[in-house]
Amino acid sequence: MSIKSKDDIIQAVVVADTFGDEFLPLSSDIPLALFPLINRPLIDYTLEFLSLGGIEETFLFCCSHTDAIKAHINQSVKDKAGWSLTMKVNVIVSESCHSFGDCLRDLDRKGILRGNFVLLEPGTLSNIKLLPIVKKHNEVANKDKGAAMTVIYQEAGIGQMGRDLNEEVVVAVNNNNRVLFHRKLGQSRDRKIEFPLEIFLENSNVSLHHNLKDTHIAICSPSVLPLFSDNFDFQSKDDFVKGLLMNEEILGSTVYCHVTKGSHFGGAITNWRMYQAISHELQNKWIYPLQPPALKAHNLKNGVVTGDKVVLNDNKKIANSIIGDNVTIGKNVQIEHSFILSNTKIADNVIITHSVIGPNCHIKANSRITASSIIGKDVVIENEQFIENSLVQSTQPENCEEKDKLGKKAFRLKLETDDDDLGALSRKLSQLHIGDSPVEESEDEAFTDSEDEELSYTQSPVPDDTKLFFTEVIDSLTRGFEDELRCENLILEINSSRYAYNVTVKEVNFNVIKAILIMSLRFPIGAQYFSQFVRLLSFFAPILKNYIRNEGAMLDCLQAIEDVAISNENVNEKWVMFTMKWFYDKDFVTEDVIMEWSKSLDTKSRFYGQVKPFIEWLEEAEEASSSEDD
Amino acid sequence: MPENENLTDVIKLISDIRHGKVFNSYEIALRTEQLLEKLISEGQWNNARELMQQIKDKIRQVSQSLPLEATATNIMRHILKVIREEFDLGSEKKAEGQSLHQIVTGDQSDELDYSESHGNLRNRLLDHLTEYKVELETSTENIAAQALEHIHTNEIILTVGISNTVEKFLKHAAKQRKFQVIVVEAAPLYRGHKMAASLANSNIQTTVIPDSGVFAMMSRVNKVIIGTHSVMADGGLRAASGVHAIALAAKHYSVPVMVLSHMYKLTPTYVCSHEKDTFNMCASPANVIPYSTGPLLNKITVYNPIFDYVPPELVTLFISHQGGNAPSYVYRLLSELYHPDDYEL
Repeated sequence: MSIKSKDDIIQAVVVADTFGDEFLPLSSDIPLALFPLINRPLIDYTLEFLSLGGIEETFLFCCSHTDAIKAHINQSVKDKAGWSLTMKVNVIVSESCHSFGDCLRDLDRKGILRGNFVLLEPGTLSNIKLLPIVKKHNEVANKDKGAAMTVIYQEAGIGQMGRDLNEEVVVAVNNNNRVLFHRKLGQSRDRKIEFPLEIFLENSNVSLHHNLKDTHIAICSPSVLPLFSDNFDFQSKDDFVKGLLMNEEILGSTVYCHVTKGSHFGGAITNWRMYQAISHELQNKWIYPLQPPALKAHNLKNGVVTGDKVVLNDNKKIANSIIGDNVTIGKNVQIEHSFILSNTKIADNVIITHSVIGPNCHIKANSRITASSIIGKDVVIENEQFIENSLVQSTQPENCEEKDKLGKKAFRLKLETDDDDLGALSRKLSQLHIGDSPVEESEDEAFTDSEDEELSYTQSPVPDDTKLFFTEVIDSLTRGFEDELRCENLILEINSSRYAYNVTVKEVNFNVIKAILIMSLRFPIGAQYFSQFVRLLSFFAPILKNYIRNEGAMLDCLQAIEDVAISNENVNEKWVMFTMKWFYDKDFVTEDVIMEWSKSLDTKSRFYGQVKPFIEWLEEAEEASSSEDD
Repeated sequence: MPENENLTDVIKLISDIRHGKVFNSYEIALRTEQLLEKLISEGQWNNARELMQQIKDKIRQVSQSLPLEATATNIMRHILKVIREEFDLGSEKKAEGQSLHQIVTGDQSDELDYSESHGNLRNRLLDHLTEYKVELETSTENIAAQALEHIHTNEIILTVGISNTVEKFLKHAAKQRKFQVIVVEAAPLYRGHKMAASLANSNIQTTVIPDSGVFAMMSRVNKVIIGTHSVMADGGLRAASGVHAIALAAKHYSVPVMVLSHMYKLTPTYVCSHEKDTFNMCASPANVIPYSTGPLLNKITVYNPIFDYVPPELVTLFISHQGGNAPSYVYRLLSELYHPDDYEL
């Protein structure tokens, strides 16, 4: 029976190249498939996963560095790597392909796939048991002749490292796990997602998912390849899914999804951030039983993994890093959150943080490499170089400017970036994650916060009431000031919004004062500024009086001043002094509260510098008055 | 390369073990025995020395790729000893000529002697292997047959997780006596549930308790009967994680702990460090805390160790198919099973 034999052997297709420039300059020397991931080439993990999942024949699609990949596969077969016993690997070379879609079109022409197959995007590793999912896909395909693809997703929480921020996705599925709607949020700045009404009208049960991450694994029916051939604009799997859903009726094909839970893990290395995330997860055994080779990954303290023959002269300052084979590291070297590939020499007093150092590099003494720099193969960094957020390669790139030359074998590489925000955002999201060091955390945190607003996660339906309250208060006050409404009415308005958003008294005080102060920042800066400011404050004096009733409220008031001053970098130098003095003069805040509050301030901050003269003045005034009493 | 050729079968075994295709130690034992049987009957060797070298290569391969796998290497080690013995028996004249002086000084001429070819060594080894296979196959029954000596009417027995040997042992006793079994569920895999279901189906009064309830329940328990992954050279256990806590609770209440162990679980290695990968390994943390937990996972490291080391002083008795032995006697059993030269390869 021919059908039987089709079902017997399940084939897999692995595309080995990324086609993008994510991994430059390293990817110009080493193909992604051979990138070491905890001292073992990436492709080994992928192949082990496939054989473990029950795949018996794999087609490995290479478009560049084909000789290296072929040599590696042959060597592995010779060494009887675990997968080679149960799985046949065929390397397909096609240097004319320029995208994922091209590869599949090429495959279609070759006609080597017999039945349903497993499709892996570049850099995938996982421990998902594939056979049950393939079986399920077969069942679905028997019922629904149009079923083209089952996309595998994994449950993951928002903000997890293993969730690629470029690939945030919203999926709507019906009862049978048929995908009705698929939207990649990624870099889009849309605050809203519009779901077509039909999906709710036509289905009795629709579930919306935003708790998923793409594993980059898909089970495909044979019809996938002709679909790619017919539609030349399909460049990637996402194009395919999108195109299929848009033209569902015309193409007559459907997409299904499978969500894995529990110990099943899947993910792909699509950029440096994911490289970091997946190394971290591999180290923490999430992909068990896939694990780094026992002999080539020695776990040291502080999350450091080293390969064979590594010479560490002292490892006190090395943390959370992965160090390849034959690496020599000098004295007093600081390495954090970095990846050092094999055969590299690092001299004394070097600092490397959040960076990737390629193979065969030589970093000379006293250099500093930080902020997601990527150093390519064979680079020599001279003494006392400072490299921050750059890509460095050993050969001179075309149209290289003089200032980009760092040494005989070190050239800064510039990528043709899109100047718009989207390109920058996606680049930032692709870089190594710099979130763990306390100094940079605030920046990164702020970044993810803004991200929250931009993306409006569907899984977090509770908007921040306090924030809404604050914007409402600002609106009321602005209107009130412009139309010169009576303050009593404004108080009434604020109080009613307070109940509407269920905000505590403390937050009301804080937000009202903050709102008034923020309004003051809108005045044009000039000679008239402070007189306008006084007019504003005097206008709102009844409101202030209403809210600042006790010492707690005074403290809230001072905190509001602090908050506004810190969050608006460009406020007038004298603004803080002036505001404080006005509140003090009008008896809104008392001396005692100011003194108490000033103790809680960080004496090193810029803000403290602004407040200090005022506090000193207060202290002097107090001393003067107390000496008068004597 | 012929050397690599010989290792193919062993790599197949390793990958099967790794991928969980052969799971329990009994299956691994049988697979190893088949592998050796095939090597001895069909393999390319001319004398005992060559054969031993090939087996040693296999042991090295296994212990390199699976440092925690004891069953396969133990069986191969035992067969090494068998080969030595058979060889010595074959060369009568050598046995006679061995003087006290030679024994004491440990004459190094042994190495050379093994290269002599023996016409019927192959057949005698195969005979011995058949015998050994029968021993393997009946080991579980032999252990179970001793159940009545240890389990008495109306006793309360505590066990943990799942173990084929313990299951058969308890069921055998249940045929004639009435007793109660408490099964500790053994988080995070909860294999105890399956065990409890199976025991309850054989009409044994069974109670499942969470791991946290062990100490509270221990005061009423008469005996703790458990299986183990392997027995270390000092008589300590490498058992499923959680067993150490149970053994400590048993010690506190002076409840005897009995460990059912096949001979092939006796391992001639000592625990050198609890942290080393050579003693323990960690499985996916997903069973402890799901991956979908959120960004918390970026900051924490979750360990889900598979094994516990239980020191020998917490074990009362080992029960093998030959009968009961105290932990302090393990060294003696080891020297019966393996040749001292093969302890470390």
